Amino acid sequence: MVFSSLTFIYVFLPLSLLFHYLSRNTLYRNIALTVFSLIFYAWGEPMWIILLLISSFYDYFNGILVERFHGTWKAKLFLILSVVGNLGILFAYKYGGFIWENIDWMLKNFNEWFNTSMETPFEKPTNTLPIGISFYTFQTISYVVDVYRGDVKAQRNPLNFLMFVSLFHQLVAGPIVRYVTIAEQIENRKVDWALISSGVGRFCFGLFKKVVVANIASELVDKYMIYTYHGDGNFDLSSYEAWFGIVMFSVQIYFDFSGYSDMAIGLGRMFGFKYDENFKHPYAAQSVGDFYRRWHISLGTFLRDYVYFPLGGGRKNRYRNVVIVWLLTGFWHGASWNFVLWGLYFGCFMVIEKLLEDVLKKTPRIIRHAYTLILIVFSRALFYFDTLYLSNPHFENSDFKYESDWSPLFGFIGNLFSSPNAVNPAFYGDLMMHVYFFILVILLCIPWDEIFTEENRFRLKVERVYYFAQPAVNFALLAIATTLLVNATHNPFIYFRF
Amino acid sequence: MMNLLNSIVFFASISSMVVMYFIIGDNRSDIEFHNGKAYLTAEKRELTELQPFTFENYLNGDWAKTFDLFVNDNFPHRETFMQWSVQLRKLRGIEVENQEKIVYLKPKKGEQPKFDEQGNPIEYLDEYDESYSNGLLILNGRVYPRSGGSPKLAANFARMVSDYAAQLAGEVRVLTAVPPLSSAFIPAAEYSHYNGQNQRSLEAIRNNLTNGAIFCDVFTELNNHAGEQLYFGTDHHWKPIGAYYAYVAFCKGAGFTPVPLEQMEKRTKTNFLGTMYQMTQDPSVKENPDVMDYYIPKVQTTAIRYGEFGFKGSAAKVFEHGCSGGATYSTFLGGDRPLMKITTNVKNGRKAVVIKNSMGNAFSVFLISHYEELWVVDLRYSKQNLIEIIRTNKINDLIFAPGMNHVMNPNTVNMMRRLGTQSGVYIPPKPKPVVDSTTVITDTIP
Repeated sequence: MVFSSLTFIYVFLPLSLLFHYLSRNTLYRNIALTVFSLIFYAWGEPMWIILLLISSFYDYFNGILVERFHGTWKAKLFLILSVVGNLGILFAYKYGGFIWENIDWMLKNFNEWFNTSMETPFEKPTNTLPIGISFYTFQTISYVVDVYRGDVKAQRNPLNFLMFVSLFHQLVAGPIVRYVTIAEQIENRKVDWALISSGVGRFCFGLFKKVVVANIASELVDKYMIYTYHGDGNFDLSSYEAWFGIVMFSVQIYFDFSGYSDMAIGLGRMFGFKYDENFKHPYAAQSVGDFYRRWHISLGTFLRDYVYFPLGGGRKNRYRNVVIVWLLTGFWHGASWNFVLWGLYFGCFMVIEKLLEDVLKKTPRIIRHAYTLILIVFSRALFYFDTLYLSNPHFENSDFKYESDWSPLFGFIGNLFSSPNAVNPAFYGDLMMHVYFFILVILLCIPWDEIFTEENRFRLKVERVYYFAQPAVNFALLAIATTLLVNATHNPFIYFRF
Repeated sequence: MMNLLNSIVFFASISSMVVMYFIIGDNRSDIEFHNGKAYLTAEKRELTELQPFTFENYLNGDWAKTFDLFVNDNFPHRETFMQWSVQLRKLRGIEVENQEKIVYLKPKKGEQPKFDEQGNPIEYLDEYDESYSNGLLILNGRVYPRSGGSPKLAANFARMVSDYAAQLAGEVRVLTAVPPLSSAFIPAAEYSHYNGQNQRSLEAIRNNLTNGAIFCDVFTELNNHAGEQLYFGTDHHWKPIGAYYAYVAFCKGAGFTPVPLEQMEKRTKTNFLGTMYQMTQDPSVKENPDVMDYYIPKVQTTAIRYGEFGFKGSAAKVFEHGCSGGATYSTFLGGDRPLMKITTNVKNGRKAVVIKNSMGNAFSVFLISHYEELWVVDLRYSKQNLIEIIRTNKINDLIFAPGMNHVMNPNTVNMMRRLGTQSGVYIPPKPKPVVDSTTVITDTIP
């Protein structure tokens, strides 16, 4: 089930809130929330719930055993079992096909060169990716590691642990909520109207970001990231249109994912949970390092605390550690060399930034910002295209219809600055037709809360007005999103596939 | 205080829709009922019903998917929200007057035609049309496919027609009357190349027809009237006036004298928003609904329609005057019947079979002035054997009048070829042999 569906907003959410608040008893509330979370997860693909339950109970016992044998080699053993088990599940379902393809490719080449006939030792995995697996395996790993470090006590109640893993607010697309963040709230959460109300506001805002901004941007992406062959060597996409498509994809992916995180944080508050922020205006970043601290923060902090610091952090082999963390960030996103390259790309730039730290500090803000934005936008191409190949369309083949790859970005096909078949006037029309939309996107990307600090008088005034207007504002956001959802055909969340 | 109010307003809003659903029930203006089933009038499709919950359909995910569709289709005041969304989307920016737009459609996954073991298509799905794969152009509130056909594929169609001409030599005349796509008549100079491309595609039919098959030059006839609105702007079909000019072209090829429009009864339907609007959902298209003038030849007819298989028919009408709204084009023949037999009071002894898709519906109704008996075969749905129809009923003319989109599609050309070879009776798929693994042969104890 997705948050931006009518079923979720108008059937599932009111029922889950109603049942959750029927009683003040925490045990009852936890049971209700767990049941609804499992229904949510099982919606459409119920088979994967078995994997979720196995993973949950595996780490429930690992947590208890790690705590029981604290300080002994046995604790380390159960910690390793937990990490290996979770990563094993992740590799089996997410990376199995990728590993097979690479082994197969290497063996084929080896056979060709040395005239041998070796075959890939195992069948190509055909599993589909269980939804949310990248998120919940990392959550349970962090839990067992925290227990091992003594940062948190092991959860003795299996129901509470299952609820932590399966909480529908953040289960399928994050943020990665660590047990330590909500350990207290699981057993004793205090809910008041201020918290619920702030959750409502956050949910409505996230829904608006997803349905209004991300979905409209995705329509433009579909239009400008795919090119069509019209015969006579003519393509309908020029380079600047292709770059516009990439910019729109950058808009889509940010508003899609941050919208989802906003909704997750808002839902958490409605049920009495306080999750950490996952985004802090990433497109206002002044450097790649700054971008890393603003984008998908829960993954960044996870890798910082569980990989970067244990490797030595900034004290020992700093540059190697930075590249490893970025590589893992890329690889976490998907089983493709594109994602690995994406990680390496940022890792390298981060190393360069560290080396040129003094130069960067003296560079005007606007240039730093422009440099970062260009790097980010370009990196989105690695996210969007499935492969690294340039297509080689057979121009004489009349069956060739449309394709999506890197070619138009660099003028390998079509024209750099103009295109035939009257697409240019249509492109102009599209720009004009979305001009208010672009303004909205820019306004939403500006870090207003950093410009107007908490003590700022103007900010205080705005907050005061919002306090009184919030029922109307949130109702309007919900109504706008609903109106567009009723007539929506295109509504996926990008981060569901990670 | 405001926090409480905010929470209450939100919870009341998200709870209200379920309550309103039960209050409104079937009392909706956007649905109509046929044979006990509810249809969404504007979208011309069946309203999604809630599936009974079973363990099996829950496990395979079908129940959840249908539930989501059910909620979407039955959302209270759905039609009003749909209208609002059109207005809301306008707020994205500034609409440039006379500005062209391009809308891309994509084939839906899993909605490809099904094929038999020989690779022949056995089921037609027209959710997605190949001729739309280059996108749809919207200009001044009218929609056009960005395609002009393909001479190479048109030649393939001509070979299929020629094969029929060879097979039926001496028995029937074989004629083609294929119209161009509406892209041939886009009223803007920068798209004039589509006119030439359509013409070249249709000329390829003429150049590849053999065995005496007759080519009726529909393109030239329509091109002579290029200044008129020959096609709908909101629908993928042509207007009756376009079909009439094609009929004139047909008469020239067949040696008939066309009946002048003045000798027919003219009627008008308004406010037609057709398939192109449904596909693009473009506000400028919505603001330009089509008006359909149609012409009724003064010929008395009786009609029988048949299902996909066999010849057990039921009464039908050549003109269904009650069709309106999104179904306006179904005025002709009542829509796409697999097979229809029209008997007229034109007692000239001539009989014809028309092979067509929906484009041919508006065309076929003009032919009743020239034939005593007219069989209209929908190439996509009819499973009756064409050769059997021709020989049993002593047909004189076999007329191929599909739209250009089906001429350019190898699958639908194969379907036309298959009309002459298919068995005409329903053959249920062979059940898989059952191996009873529980059967255990044991020695009997005497």
